[in-house]
Amino acid sequence: MSRSLVKFVAIILVIAALFYVGLYGLDISDSVRFPGILDEDGITQGLDLKGGTVIVYKAQTDNPSDDDMNTVVSMLRTRLDGQGYTEAVLTRQGTDKVRVELPDVQDAQKAVETLGATAQLSFKDPSGAEVMSGKEVKNATAEYGQTQQGMASSSYYISLELTEEGRQKFSVATGELAGKPEGQNFIAITMDENILSMPRVQQKIDSESCVITGEFTPEEAKALAANIKSGQLPFSLEQVEVRTVSATLGDEALINAVKAGIIGLILVLVFMLLIYRLQGLMANFALIGYIAIVFIILANLHINLTLPGIAGIILSIGMAVDANVVIFERIKEELRLGKTVRSSVDAGFNRALSAVIDSNITTIISAVILYFLGTGTIKGFGITLFIGIILSMLSAIFITKFLIKQIIGMNVKNPWFYGVKKNEEIGTAKGGKA
Amino acid sequence: MFNIVNKKGIFLSIAALLIVVSIVSLVFQGFNLDTDFAGGLALTYQIDKEFTVSDVQSIVDNALGNDQSPSSIQQSGNEVIIKFGFDNKLETDEARSDFAMAKVAAITSALEEMYGEKTEATAEENPAEGETTDETTEEKPEVTVKGVVLKNQDIVSPSTGRELAKSAVMMSILACIAILLYVTFRFEFTSGVVAILALVHDVVILLGVYSILQWSVDTNFIAAILTVLGYSINNTIVIMDRIRENTRHARKETYGEIANKSIWQTLNRSINTTITTLLTIGMVYILGVPSIKAFSLPIIIGICVGFYSSVFVAGTLWAFWKDSAVKSKKA
Repeated sequence: MSRSLVKFVAIILVIAALFYVGLYGLDISDSVRFPGILDEDGITQGLDLKGGTVIVYKAQTDNPSDDDMNTVVSMLRTRLDGQGYTEAVLTRQGTDKVRVELPDVQDAQKAVETLGATAQLSFKDPSGAEVMSGKEVKNATAEYGQTQQGMASSSYYISLELTEEGRQKFSVATGELAGKPEGQNFIAITMDENILSMPRVQQKIDSESCVITGEFTPEEAKALAANIKSGQLPFSLEQVEVRTVSATLGDEALINAVKAGIIGLILVLVFMLLIYRLQGLMANFALIGYIAIVFIILANLHINLTLPGIAGIILSIGMAVDANVVIFERIKEELRLGKTVRSSVDAGFNRALSAVIDSNITTIISAVILYFLGTGTIKGFGITLFIGIILSMLSAIFITKFLIKQIIGMNVKNPWFYGVKKNEEIGTAKGGKA
Repeated sequence: MFNIVNKKGIFLSIAALLIVVSIVSLVFQGFNLDTDFAGGLALTYQIDKEFTVSDVQSIVDNALGNDQSPSSIQQSGNEVIIKFGFDNKLETDEARSDFAMAKVAAITSALEEMYGEKTEATAEENPAEGETTDETTEEKPEVTVKGVVLKNQDIVSPSTGRELAKSAVMMSILACIAILLYVTFRFEFTSGVVAILALVHDVVILLGVYSILQWSVDTNFIAAILTVLGYSINNTIVIMDRIRENTRHARKETYGEIANKSIWQTLNRSINTTITTLLTIGMVYILGVPSIKAFSLPIIIGICVGFYSSVFVAGTLWAFWKDSAVKSKKA
């Protein structure tokens, strides 16, 4: 009796401790800490909660190769970093698409324009012939200052560092152009057919560096420099999806979802207590333990939590008790056959196990398919569903069973506590044998 | 004890009727596809002042000209959702995107003009904010507008929807095949086929409800259908598990008797699990924001339809198939 009580109290304390860690995290030392879901760094919020912009780019070519797509992803990455979008998440979607998630970015227009450009830099003479291309550029940086001596104001410009080949090409071209009459002595610097600037050439330039001037804002200059530096995309990209979610929408959605979760949880706890009494109470402890572990996993594995993901977790609370419902109904049946509480519980758990495992595995199959084949929020839903099913199954089998064994050990053997009426038990036992 | 299996005529007829009605509606009426699938532009604004749909309609028409009228304007609380389809003339994604971006800018400024409260901004951090786009180069003082917020903006190419639908169908078929294999391995082929038929029943009726009522269908609907696939199979498997166990102990009972007994033995569990799940997902539906409501409603419908198929269709079909197999052997 006392031994069971100690074990029982111990497991309840463990559940309580897990729940605390799930909420507030655990600090082991200054460097080692596990965040909880209420911590700043606890939950990795998906874009639909945090607010931001999603852009899906599609390659404007048939059957782009895998290598090309990977090149595109890494080049987009460089461009994004160059423009300060360091938190951006890039994923390939299907065979010819790239999904760009920009947290906290509300102004989709700006990002869309510069990111998807091919960034084909070209230097052309007045006849339109290319004298040099972006390939001959070794480095590009955005700078601020006077681009010409004697100019009154400073402005943003882009400084290019040329390769040896580029230097030669540039020097030949400027040498030719310098001799031409006014109006035909300029070089047009174009980016994807847009003219950036048209400097006049007064003398032959034999230098490793040159500048592109224009009326650039600091952002434009930086973006341009980043695009030139990261080079030319193998093909152009067109945005097939642009979605923006404001942060307020996400906040509201999150608060409502949490509210729904808490109320739903309370309803399930009450329901289980009413229908299955003492066993229901044990299942409720296991359910709270399950939720605590889900919290810990969410906070520490940095799973991207989307709105359908939260719905998936809340749904899993309802489903989590399913395994216990299957088992308890089985225990009730065994009790009605007139078996003792102890052997009914054993038989109930053993006989219900195959139903619990088979039914959960079929659900896991669909969760896995959602995770691997789905995109965006569907993927997020798949992962939470997957975690939810596995954990709930384990907690329902192991935690609940352990707790119920302890209360049997404490000599709580009146079948009423297990959801069966005394007379019902005898009646059915007789009927069952008839 | 009421014999569910003996009344198979009624239960299977109801299921068959619902499926036929659903398919007829799906074939002749199809879906009311949301922007996610059909492609187009969807904007959600929060407007703090009072407004009506017709107010917004006229503001948008004024801003864009009548020939570019939105396909729908809906109000929910202090939010208004404005949707556009894409013109067939816009052939490339680039053109559609430009078209949409221009509309967003025009509508936002028109709504701000009408409902917003302008406040002069205090020393913004960006000093050289002059030249953002070619059209708006006139220097304006930095002004922030309160009272009108663009909460959500979706621009989706029509090709995206087609691919989405394709991948959804692929995921469903794959899920069915995987489940069929697993159930055949763990139970028997008959159970596997019956389980899949019950799933098809659930999904077709769920699709049918959305088609008949012309509720709009978006990406989350796909996730919801796949959830129903995963959840509803659960109930069926628990019943099949009981049938498997009872078949082992059976001596001279018919398949019909075994199925009926198994359904009744698991009925409490089927009901209670359905209730706990409906309690939680129901709260999500009641308290959720519109996008979450759109996600949880099909799950709720699916759980109810799934309950019917598990309890009244799956076991009955199983017994029907098994018994006719026995009869054909004897014959």
